[in-house]
Amino acid sequence: MKQLSVFLENRPGRLANLLKILEENKIKLLAMGIAEAGNYGIVRMIVDKFEKAIEVLRNANMAVNQADVIIIDLDRLTEVAKLFGELGINIDYAYSMNDNKIVLKVDNEENAIKILNNKGIKFIA
Amino acid sequence: MYKLSKKEIIEIQNKRLRAIIKYAYENSPFYRRKFSKIDIDSIRTKEDLKKIPFTTKDDVRENYPLGLLAVDFSKIIRFHASSGTTGNPTVVAYTKKDLENWTELCARCLELVGVTSNDVVQIAYGYGLFTGGLGFHYGAEKIGAKVIPTSTGNTKRQIKLMKDLGTTVICCTPSYGLYLAETAKEENIDPKKDLKLRIGVFGAEPWSENTRKKLEENFVENAYDIYGMAELTGPGVAIECKYKNGLHVWEDYFIVEIIDPNTGEVLEPGEKGEMVITTLMKEAMPFIRYRTRDITILEDDQCDCGLDHARIMRILGRTDDMLKIRGICVFPSQIEEVILKTNGLSPHYQIIADREGVMDKLIVRVEVAENFKTDKLTDVVMLQRKLEEELKDSLGIDTIVELVEPKKIPRSEGKAQRIIDLRKMKGLL
Repeated sequence: MKQLSVFLENRPGRLANLLKILEENKIKLLAMGIAEAGNYGIVRMIVDKFEKAIEVLRNANMAVNQADVIIIDLDRLTEVAKLFGELGINIDYAYSMNDNKIVLKVDNEENAIKILNNKGIKFIA
Repeated sequence: MYKLSKKEIIEIQNKRLRAIIKYAYENSPFYRRKFSKIDIDSIRTKEDLKKIPFTTKDDVRENYPLGLLAVDFSKIIRFHASSGTTGNPTVVAYTKKDLENWTELCARCLELVGVTSNDVVQIAYGYGLFTGGLGFHYGAEKIGAKVIPTSTGNTKRQIKLMKDLGTTVICCTPSYGLYLAETAKEENIDPKKDLKLRIGVFGAEPWSENTRKKLEENFVENAYDIYGMAELTGPGVAIECKYKNGLHVWEDYFIVEIIDPNTGEVLEPGEKGEMVITTLMKEAMPFIRYRTRDITILEDDQCDCGLDHARIMRILGRTDDMLKIRGICVFPSQIEEVILKTNGLSPHYQIIADREGVMDKLIVRVEVAENFKTDKLTDVVMLQRKLEEELKDSLGIDTIVELVEPKKIPRSEGKAQRIIDLRKMKGLL
């Protein structure tokens, strides 16, 4: 699954501006997490129209990036975290999503997908 | 014609120096007062200049508008003025001969960097009171080049004309050059592929070697630094040759000295200090030992290009742009150099000085590049810390780096306004 991330200044109105651009372009937000560090932060998102979102945000002069993430059901998180831990796969960050799901960014996606398949755990990647 | 040997240069300088001192004394009440305690016949060489007091920007302000004039008003055929941030502008006047000389200097500069009658020269310096536009205009015309006098502004049209008319030489400020390159890309024009820009002549603000790299990677084949100021006729006082190792001063027109800005003592070649210039050929308003407030180094050894005219190194900054932060001198160019060599940042920045209690604070506000990797917050934090550390290494003081979103720093079409001194605005200095 492709995740979008945007660099934003940490002050009133910047997030509203970002969301307004998505809404005006009929892009639906499926998940979102914010990480902040002082005067700025990073907003990470899963959207329904990924390519379109990249295009409109770049046109609005935003620093936009993409990354691969894995989505699993929230009620399997304990099990998955344990499995990953045993195999030395680190979860760099995570944030929850609608429909009782959670977005995970791991440092070794290939191995993570392998183990999820082996154990028959449902995921989106 | 301008390829003079060192010996010839010194002979011409001495002859013209004696003449201009006598001329200024006889024709300008301002200089007659200034030279009142000096035996002007004893001023025979550059070394003798030490006996003469400096002329300063304050002298010009106090004698506004035309107190330094050395000709009858009827002889003047042009005025220019440089923007005064406070109070009166600096007004300069030209006789017919002055304009001819200025044209000659600008033509020499353009010729030295390789401009010929085959070139299409777009002049994106301001036309009007600012000397940039008209100076280059006359110089390029004298060479017989095809001139596009776009002046500043209307950036998209500048790029359209560059493309449609096949501009080969662009003259503008380095910050506007970067902005033109950025705007071209937004218009889906890759300057390096879609435009024919061979030469860029960039001046009117200090810039760094890293800016040259950016300009040559993204905009023009060769970027050259040019120096001048209204008081010294305008652009055309000095320019880099193809070796890009300092700017050759036209020494048959100007004498350059470097002084310690605090003591006024004349420094040796190779030593950093404030540049003081004596105009040898100006009629309407000669400037004798004029303190330019620009900080540089004079190099008097022979350049690989074979030209014997001495070189000044890149202007490090202006004594008035210099910020004193907790007693340490900081030049914007030092900060620019660090920013430009750091990946993930755009070349657009602002420097803010403030004071909290008794402590000075230096804030550097800089844009992240649009292609900057923003997935991990730690990467962004690392970028900020790295910049703070490198600024500390370079400046010797702590700075606060504020990363801002792309395109959030105001762009300028003329000289970039990069310094905001809140201490001055608050009346603390």
